[in-house]
Amino acid sequence: MTKPLLSVEDLTKTFGGLHAVEEVSFQIQQGEIIGLIGPNGAGKTTIFNLISGYHPPTRGRIAFNGRDITGRRPYELARLGIGRTFQVVKPFPGLTVLENVVIAAFARHPKRADAERHAWQILESTGLAGRAGLSAASLTLAGRKRLEISKALALEPQLLLLDEVVAGLNPTEADQTIKLILQLRDSGISILVVEHIMRVIMNISDSILVLNFGRKIAMGKPAEVTRNPEVVKAYLGEEAACKP
Amino acid sequence: MFLLLPQALVDGFLIGGIYVTIAIGFSLAYGVMHIIDFAVGEWIMLGAFLGFYLTKWLQIEPLLFLPLVFIVFAAIGYLFQPVIHRVLSGKKGNPLLMALVFTFGLALMIKGLGLTVFGFYSHSIPSALSAGSFSLEIGSLFVTVPVIRLTGLIYALAITLALHYLLKKTDFGLAVRALSQNKDAAGLMGINAKRTSSYVYGIYVGISAMSGVLIGCIFSISAQMGSQYTVFSFFVVVLAGMGYLSGVPWAAFLLGVVQSFFLIYFNPGWTLLAVFGILYAVLLVSPKGLFGKGV
Amino acid sequence: MRWRNLLWIGISIAGLLLLPKFFPDPFFLRIVTEVFMWVGLAITWDVMAGYTGYLNFGHGAFFGIGAYVTAILMMRSGWPFAATLPVAGLVAGAAALIAGLPTLRLKGAYFAIATWALALAVQQMALVLDITGGPDGMRLPPFLHPQFFFYLMLTLVTATFALLWFLLEKAPFGLKVKAIREDELGAMALGINPTTIKMQAFILSAIPAGVLGGIYAYWITFIDPASVLADIITDQAMVMAVFGGLGTLIGPLIGAVLIFAFKTYFWAYLADYQVLYLIILGGVIALTVVFLPNGLWGTITGYTGGRRILRKALSVDQPQGSGEKET
Ligand SMILES: Nc1ncnc2c1ncn2[C@@H]1O[C@H](COP(=O)(O)OP(=O)(O)OP(=O)(O)O)[C@@H](O)[C@H]1O
Ligand SMILES: [Mg+2]
Repeated sequence: MTKPLLSVEDLTKTFGGLHAVEEVSFQIQQGEIIGLIGPNGAGKTTIFNLISGYHPPTRGRIAFNGRDITGRRPYELARLGIGRTFQVVKPFPGLTVLENVVIAAFARHPKRADAERHAWQILESTGLAGRAGLSAASLTLAGRKRLEISKALALEPQLLLLDEVVAGLNPTEADQTIKLILQLRDSGISILVVEHIMRVIMNISDSILVLNFGRKIAMGKPAEVTRNPEVVKAYLGEEAACKP
Repeated sequence: MFLLLPQALVDGFLIGGIYVTIAIGFSLAYGVMHIIDFAVGEWIMLGAFLGFYLTKWLQIEPLLFLPLVFIVFAAIGYLFQPVIHRVLSGKKGNPLLMALVFTFGLALMIKGLGLTVFGFYSHSIPSALSAGSFSLEIGSLFVTVPVIRLTGLIYALAITLALHYLLKKTDFGLAVRALSQNKDAAGLMGINAKRTSSYVYGIYVGISAMSGVLIGCIFSISAQMGSQYTVFSFFVVVLAGMGYLSGVPWAAFLLGVVQSFFLIYFNPGWTLLAVFGILYAVLLVSPKGLFGKGV
Repeated sequence: MRWRNLLWIGISIAGLLLLPKFFPDPFFLRIVTEVFMWVGLAITWDVMAGYTGYLNFGHGAFFGIGAYVTAILMMRSGWPFAATLPVAGLVAGAAALIAGLPTLRLKGAYFAIATWALALAVQQMALVLDITGGPDGMRLPPFLHPQFFFYLMLTLVTATFALLWFLLEKAPFGLKVKAIREDELGAMALGINPTTIKMQAFILSAIPAGVLGGIYAYWITFIDPASVLADIITDQAMVMAVFGGLGTLIGPLIGAVLIFAFKTYFWAYLADYQVLYLIILGGVIALTVVFLPNGLWGTITGYTGGRRILRKALSVDQPQGSGEKET
């Protein structure tokens, strides 16, 4: 077995008395897509916040490329190669789309001209180049989600955390985003993806991690996970409710 | 030297009560609107002058005017809040920043208005209670308790209890607490954020003005007094931890004691420096206030 | 676009350089010199407010600190004027570092409060210390040479403007600062350390203010806490920047020129009612916030959309972003 890119051990996060994430362990290999699913409030976004340094874990250990990164700040992790998107998208609304991406590109290209060139490349690949000069506030939801991905990509990450980047898109837009995710995987980036839409997650994930009430209740190949009775019990009832 | 120590503590404790009232109102307003009001000291100044002139014209005890002062300023605050609300809900630029700028402009205007109308002189509000004092002897310790300061403490207690009741026992209080926790969720619960904020702002302005009258009975008042009390309010709220109401009394009494200490032992001119020093040290060591519970 | 802009800048600077030749009237030069100074204060205040999104209510403290550093070094240590200016800037920068250290890690409200308290503390300090002369202030050797101060202010303010323009509008720093203004948490995910960037911006805004204070002290030859540390310095710089338009350099420049021109005019007629000026300043800022949140310049250029249109109209070689629709 090769050395994992990301390894999470006994990760726990409590907010007051609430156990948002409890003793979750898993690993991500290079070039792998892991789907992270679970009902609303299961702790998916919290896991993202822990891995990307937005919350310090209450307990547990996170290692990236063999290095312990527990408790590191988000900007350090971004420079190390962990890119993330936000479930509630965070464009810089007063800046243009290009500027949004250029800011992220500075992490690898300190010179403005280089960063701009890199940002253009990213925008070409995510299909936003035509809107580069628009203010980010004027983008549609699909555009904003794409911008989120573009910004994370401009960091040239080894690990990409995607929090519901497909939800809310129409089928055509969704398919484009899925294609993009698969391309990224093929280029060697490891991806942890949170999504409620089963069709998407089942199709793209190499394996799936299921959370419920902050606990890992299953992990495995998509086909195995869907047959797991506990998952069916915890998840499928919920899925019907929040299917788009 | 140490003979005066108990006196400083007592003085500080007595005056601290008034700071509690101001800071609680201020915290409430911060809680629901998420902006700090730079005009807080100016409301205090205006209230003090209303009390001063009413006393001068009518020649009766200023403490009797407190309810009137409250009503007048609560109405002003209530009518004013929608303007701040409008700035806060602006779509362009940075509304939070602009709202801060707005209260600052308001403070400037009120100060200018005060200086124009009231002039540069200092006054004090003559209360029948101002002269009285009684002495306490506890063992070998001997302290004087000015009646007016004691009244201030009683006033503070009454206001604090009333607010406590309002916040914890009424539907209005529930709405205020919901709003301070989460604006969007409160909206979903059918709470009229706009109206509730207006009431809170009115209450806060009214209390600040009333406390201004008491400050005028204890210390002197002038049109320039606002900035100092603005800083005092900030001090208390930051030390308590922004939005953490239970910390307010401690911070307020600390401020009172620091102030009376400097009055008795050092140059009162150093008070603001000491206040800044403490503020700085606390922010450096425990950014979320003395108790680490602020936001 | 480059050439046309350069041409305009060249013409303006040449015009300003020649101004004393054609209008040697000392009163007039004094006014213009002071306008330069206020432009400097307004644009440096805007570095924090408009670009970084943090309100500095104690900007005047840096100006006052600079003034006192120059006065103290000249009068108590016998330094030549020119040598005091870098020190004035550095001390102001150090003060920003010290004030920013605990507060810039926190939410904006803390910063606003702390800077306001800082300004009052510095005022008090100047009042009670011996080295500053307390309330009596300090007198500096008179150097009555209006043209000298005219050119000195012009040079410093132009240099500051150019530096800020480069850093904020051209260099990566500007975009990083704006990212913090727009969304501090989001910026962190992109590898930006907000505390570092905010600190740099704060120091960047403090240093020129300190140098301006130093020049002012020598120019005016008498300083006391009521003049160089007055609240009105921050108030006025703020009003100029907000009125002109936050988040730009041109806005505060326009604001400074207009407000100062108004003040000069106002003073000539209403000198007996000086406190009215406070009301007017407060009124201008409050009304601007409510009715022109983007300031004069921001409103004229329509902030994002219009500015681009304006730029396009003025330029010949800007192919980007064609056929866009603004909302
Ligand atoms: N900063 C916080 N403070 C307090 N509680 C929090 C915080 N962040 C998350 N929580 C709580 O932790 C739990 C897990 O939330 P999380 O956002 O991780 O869920 P999620 O799986 O992403 O849900 P969704 O599918 O709705 O996005 C929820 O109960 C949430 O209320
Ligand atoms: Mg989530």
